[in-house]
Amino acid sequence: MNRHVTTEQLSAYLDKELGFVEMRQLDAHFEACPTCGARLTSMRRTLRGLARVERLAPPPLVTQQLRGRIAVESALSPSPVRRLLRLVSGLPLQPALRTSLAMGLTLVASLFLVTHGVERESRNLVPPASPEPQTIVETYLGDSPMMPLPLTTSEIAGLGTFVLTDEGWVQDGLEGERPEARVDVGSPEGRALLTQYTNLEFLVAEGYTVLMRDNLETVELRSSGTPDRVLGFEADPSVPGRGLRSVSA
Amino acid sequence: MGVATIYAAVHDLDLDIDLAERHRSGDARAFDEVYERFGEMVYNLALRLSGHREEAADLTQEIFLRVYRHLGSFGGRSTLKTWVFRVAVNHCRDRLSRHALLMLSIDEETGEGGKAFADPSRSPEELALAADDGRRVAEGLAHLAPVFREAVVLRDLEGLSYEEIAEVLGVRVGTVRSRIARGREQLRVSLERGQ
Repeated sequence: MNRHVTTEQLSAYLDKELGFVEMRQLDAHFEACPTCGARLTSMRRTLRGLARVERLAPPPLVTQQLRGRIAVESALSPSPVRRLLRLVSGLPLQPALRTSLAMGLTLVASLFLVTHGVERESRNLVPPASPEPQTIVETYLGDSPMMPLPLTTSEIAGLGTFVLTDEGWVQDGLEGERPEARVDVGSPEGRALLTQYTNLEFLVAEGYTVLMRDNLETVELRSSGTPDRVLGFEADPSVPGRGLRSVSA
Repeated sequence: MGVATIYAAVHDLDLDIDLAERHRSGDARAFDEVYERFGEMVYNLALRLSGHREEAADLTQEIFLRVYRHLGSFGGRSTLKTWVFRVAVNHCRDRLSRHALLMLSIDEETGEGGKAFADPSRSPEELALAADDGRRVAEGLAHLAPVFREAVVLRDLEGLSYEEIAEVLGVRVGTVRSRIARGREQLRVSLERGQ
């Protein structure tokens, strides 16, 4: 091979991610070409440096605070305090201030639990889990000239958080991504997705598109028909204690 | 991939699903095990993506709260490891894009963060040289664009395979290969210039 080794070839060569023939060709090229040989040596030095980047154990405080927050969350869910804790953790504050605020709320909530006779075993990191009612839509309210507008988010079990944007609902982490496939909710694939993920239908019910990850593919889920106008949501008696259903026009 | 490797992977996945089922049924030790397995990895990932110890500690808490909330819905479509890393990367992206808090220099010797893991097989001189190398590389990493930094950290610091990184980042293996290569090259050039 006469041309210099590309950046991708060099990287894949060091990871042994190339086929046998290409590895042998590059071996020979690195022997013969001083430029590529020097780059190989330099890249090996870089990888050695990466291997020397210090690894740290999480500070003990992380475990302690996590234990406290999980204990409070599982004891209080879903309550105004839990929503407040989530709101605090979402505020654009300095980490130290945010942690202090969350810890303060945790302390107040813990005192409340103690004074109201709620007991929990706390030998383990978490207390026994209790059935967690699902939150369909959370809107963080409250205005402050110093803060950005609140986000409207929705938690879908198995998929995580969705954020309502101008383009519709977007799964956390997919902001700015283009869909690799478009799926109509009426198609077999669309119906399968709605069956697989409880409450996903509420996101498309209002006519919004939903950008989500499915099987390593970015999928845009949309309804091609004219959607019913959703007036609101009410408790679904077929799912005691946890379900909501939409009320349409 | 050999038969033994496939068997081990299936066995690990069974263990992962079992952990999620135990968490669903209220076994508190299940989440403890998850934290035990992934706590250090997640903390170091958050540290390298944020470049800030205090933020990494905060991110680690938030990530494991999410893991705690959603562990019951883990269905085994990927390994628990890639699932946890995915939660971690998504949360770091979300938080860091909102706060733009990347600190460009990490002082490894000061601060009140976690303790470094010692290597008893190396002399003090070797350890000092290695620490100096590691510090320079960590600073170089902090200057990379986030997409390249994520790929390099997952590959070279956390040791994930290309396929695992593709699952974590939700992109194709070819994209992972390209991001790792470009990230390493930028790091190499910046380190060479710095010498």
